[in-house]
Amino acid sequence: MTVANSTHDLVVERVEAGYPGHLAVRGVDLTVPAGRVVAIVGPNGCGKSTLLRTIARLHQPRSGTVTVGGADIWQLGQRRAAHLVSLLPQAPQAPEAVTVAGLVRYGRHPHQGLFRQWSRDDERAVRAALDATGTTELAGRRLDRLSGGQRQRCWLAMVLAQETPLVLLDEPTSALDLGHAVEVLELARSVAAAGRTVVMVLHDLMSAARYADVIVAMRDGEIVADGPSREVVDAALVRTLYGIDADVLAAPGDGSPVVVPAARTPRAPAAAPAPAAAGPGKARM
Amino acid sequence: MTERPTEPRTDVPATSDTAITPPDSVVLRTGALSWLFPRRTALVSVGLALVIAVVVALATFASSTGLSAADTLGGLLGTGDRMTVMLIQDFRLPRILVGLMVGAALGVSGCLTQTLAGNRLATPDIIGVNEGATAAVVASVVGSSTAMVGDWWLGPLGAVGAAIVVVACAGGAGTRGYRVLVVGIGVSTLVGAVTDLVMSRQNENTAGGVFLWSVGSLNGRDYGVGRPLLLCLVVLLPLALIAGRRLDVMRFDDDMAAALGVNIRLVRGLTLALAVALAGVAVGIGGPIAFVALASPILAGRLYGPTRVPIVGSALVGAGLIAAADALGRVIAPVEIPVGVVTSVLGGPFLLWVLISGDGRARTGSPSRRSSRKG
Repeated sequence: MTVANSTHDLVVERVEAGYPGHLAVRGVDLTVPAGRVVAIVGPNGCGKSTLLRTIARLHQPRSGTVTVGGADIWQLGQRRAAHLVSLLPQAPQAPEAVTVAGLVRYGRHPHQGLFRQWSRDDERAVRAALDATGTTELAGRRLDRLSGGQRQRCWLAMVLAQETPLVLLDEPTSALDLGHAVEVLELARSVAAAGRTVVMVLHDLMSAARYADVIVAMRDGEIVADGPSREVVDAALVRTLYGIDADVLAAPGDGSPVVVPAARTPRAPAAAPAPAAAGPGKARM
Repeated sequence: MTERPTEPRTDVPATSDTAITPPDSVVLRTGALSWLFPRRTALVSVGLALVIAVVVALATFASSTGLSAADTLGGLLGTGDRMTVMLIQDFRLPRILVGLMVGAALGVSGCLTQTLAGNRLATPDIIGVNEGATAAVVASVVGSSTAMVGDWWLGPLGAVGAAIVVVACAGGAGTRGYRVLVVGIGVSTLVGAVTDLVMSRQNENTAGGVFLWSVGSLNGRDYGVGRPLLLCLVVLLPLALIAGRRLDVMRFDDDMAAALGVNIRLVRGLTLALAVALAGVAVGIGGPIAFVALASPILAGRLYGPTRVPIVGSALVGAGLIAAADALGRVIAPVEIPVGVVTSVLGGPFLLWVLISGDGRARTGSPSRRSSRKG
């Protein structure tokens, strides 16, 4: 793990956030060193998305602070905050007929202005983002004519072009098949390896366990477990989060936890318990 | 999850180096400063400016009174007889220039509302601007013995008043543009009904005076309204241009735009205010001229391409449309046809063309919305 710049720690302190009549995040504390991949997991409605939106400066917390590298992002303007935090929403919408390069160029918007419309930095950042996501060959293509997997890599390229120390991804794999989901998660890892911090909300506990350095498990607006996946993910956690019984096995490759839900209703023929060697941790629930 | 391999398309070939820099743009850099000059934008703008120059020239010389080209030139240069000089310099030219400015204001206003709502059919009159202006003007005429349409600023005042009511009822410009639109339709209908009720109680003389204005007419508009109009445009158009950069980004969804550093509420509120002010001034002076606010941004979008919100283009197209329609109305019949009637007549077919024409992009806010990752 390369911790390139520890001044860009993400620190969430006593954050409470919610909607009228409903407190979705109830006093969350969280510290993430730079260069880590953090996955926030939990059942629907556990407050993980609200927490992510609070960190992204989209949902104002009722109390508490979110700081990135010591700067309280809710004290900064929207534009300054966009220099520190970037976000890929769950189902982003693009301007019509935008090309891939056009999309990625929008990632430079917070760095641009009336007198700084297309700097060398912009050019370098866009090129680097396209390279990092393997979308350089798609640069001239229209976004709406690409497949879902290609499109998601382009969106990631845009977020990377913003060159923020903190990158937030809201369920980046939810609309993708296994192959493309793995591609995106591997990308998240490489982003962290380059010294940035990635915080993502994931539905899939096993992807989280496989690809995140740190698992943050939430339930009812509170963090119920927080740590390296091998220490945190066990049958008790699965029960706490989702209310189901499950076996948690160690993946043959690297020992990362694999969650196998116990079937309540028996099936007729015995099903093969787990695929062989390759990567059972990648399977979706 | 169907993962269709994307078949090769006839898109721009992906030669990476040219694709990274905005295509077809000239980059100018000095030290930390840099500017982009898209060639297409520049070319189309120059082209439109030339078209407008031609339209203005034609409008100046076009006449239903049988004034010859030589007479007109004499009037223009001040060498003709006094009547002709007065006709050209005090009536025709100011009217053309006011028309250009009204058109530009309507075009930009329409561009702003369409972009805000993400819908090509959202024009400023939907947020009550036209009805508000009409109500104010009608109120000024009622009780006046001369049945003359009142001061030009009554229109903008009514427009702004109606827009404030709409925005207040919608609970602020807020985070959702469509709510303002829905409330706007309701308020417009209400204000319009009250106006009609008041009008139906007036004598024919009064009603006739208001009628001409209420279909949209530039008849008798001169530098008296031209000067304040110019002042408004000098203030409002640069603001619209500044908003344009943010509006480009706001074609993403709200979360994405905010994550890219755009203060959504602020930009949306200011843009709405700009749109109302521009449309209000235009309607106050020219009356509720139909279809220009609708058509200008759509035409500009086709001419300039989809990469940017076409603020300048909408202004140029709007200016050209009104100048042309007004000249046409003056010349085509022995008795002048108000510009609003001309644009309405041209606007109907235009709307149909928009709805059924080829690429279909004009129909909705954006097709990429439908093809987002959820699909």
